[in-house]
Amino acid sequence: MSDVVASTLDRLSHVPGVRSALIVDAEAGVPVASELGTGASGTAVAALTASLFRRTDQAVRDAALGGLGSFQLETEEGHVVVAGRRELIVVVIADRDAQLGLIRLEIDRAVEALQ
Amino acid sequence: MRNGPGTADLQRWSEEVARDPGSPSFLPLAEAYRRMGKTEAALRLCLRGLERSPGSVDGHLLLARIYLELGDRERAADEWAVTARLDPDNFDAHRGLGFFHLERGEYSSAGRHLERAALARPGDPAVQEALSVLRRHQARSSAASRGAAATNGARSPEPTPPGTQNGAVAGSALAQPADRAETATPSAAALQPAAEAAEEPERSPADARPARGAGVRDPARVFEPLSTEAPFIGALLLDERGLVLAGSVREGGMTRSEALGAVVGPAAEEAARTAALLSIGAWRGILIETDRALLHVAPLERDLLVLVAAERGTPVGWALRTAERAGDLARQFLAEGGA
Repeated sequence: MSDVVASTLDRLSHVPGVRSALIVDAEAGVPVASELGTGASGTAVAALTASLFRRTDQAVRDAALGGLGSFQLETEEGHVVVAGRRELIVVVIADRDAQLGLIRLEIDRAVEALQ
Repeated sequence: MRNGPGTADLQRWSEEVARDPGSPSFLPLAEAYRRMGKTEAALRLCLRGLERSPGSVDGHLLLARIYLELGDRERAADEWAVTARLDPDNFDAHRGLGFFHLERGEYSSAGRHLERAALARPGDPAVQEALSVLRRHQARSSAASRGAAATNGARSPEPTPPGTQNGAVAGSALAQPADRAETATPSAAALQPAAEAAEEPERSPADARPARGAGVRDPARVFEPLSTEAPFIGALLLDERGLVLAGSVREGGMTRSEALGAVVGPAAEEAARTAALLSIGAWRGILIETDRALLHVAPLERDLLVLVAAERGTPVGWALRTAERAGDLARQFLAEGGA
């Protein structure tokens, strides 16, 4: 694992409320690196979130809205935030009451670092 | 929730389709590609499969869905029309055609297809809601007709809604097969969705639509109270496939409703699937940031969705608050419809 990826993942996973953080190969849908919470499957999370990101990216491009920057899914039990610009995307699964502003800030930094 | 096909299934279908492009396996393979986001590949497979199996109802329905996701509603409507000819009671075909015509302001055809869809599946909430919208429009048109006649006397022509050929839902036409006559040579006005057509700034004196503030809720204006805030681009009430029921989105003088609807359907479907598979509870909202806009999508009751579009760079907190207000306006609109 490169230093950039390792330090990016380390910062993300230490934000309060973050359960899991992953760097994912968007095309292949496989995890490049991950810090996973208890019971989480990195393979499943990577495959699902990469598919979600690719499909939404294609839809917004078809709709002439430009490229997809980030995708935030709010559910009854938490949040899934996916962001990226190139082949690597950053995925964070966070608790429902997590500080989303802080998480998004760290994700923006992570995306920039991975460019 | 049903799990998707495995690698072995995909390989088997691929081999069967490679041997015979018209093999029934083109359907699950194309559907799998569509779900994986490989829409162009799914389109090619479907077109090739239908060349060999032109009578495949499911093939035409899948092709319609692919075109819809690609934002090509004309071609989607063509495929629904073919499906309706092959299977005259097909719910999906009549539902798709009903929404297609409704969005174009072709109320007579919309009514015909939506009624047939309702006959095929009486409990479908989106179809019932669309019929409510249609009936409200008819009631307004009738009231406006009476008003115009009273004002102008016997010389006034019978007013018709924009893009409407017959001006009313023709119940007696239910037995007729789906036709493409009204869309063969559409007028420029008819090419606009109903919601956008109602936003034309210049109105002719003969236009029977109620004026702003006339006390009658226009589906295009449901979210108008939000329009005073600067980042707001528009909002839509959609069915789960992204077909527009109310609201409008215009950006840079251009209509964006259909394009945004095409984004929402796949995004919401994937979001629900992801939330379920990750076991993190039901989804409550999606925030999508693109190079040009900030979109928020939230589920409403009865499989409906509310989309709010704002300018790029809009604070997320504003978008979330506005999405809540848009949800309230949508619920109010649905309640007023007497559904």
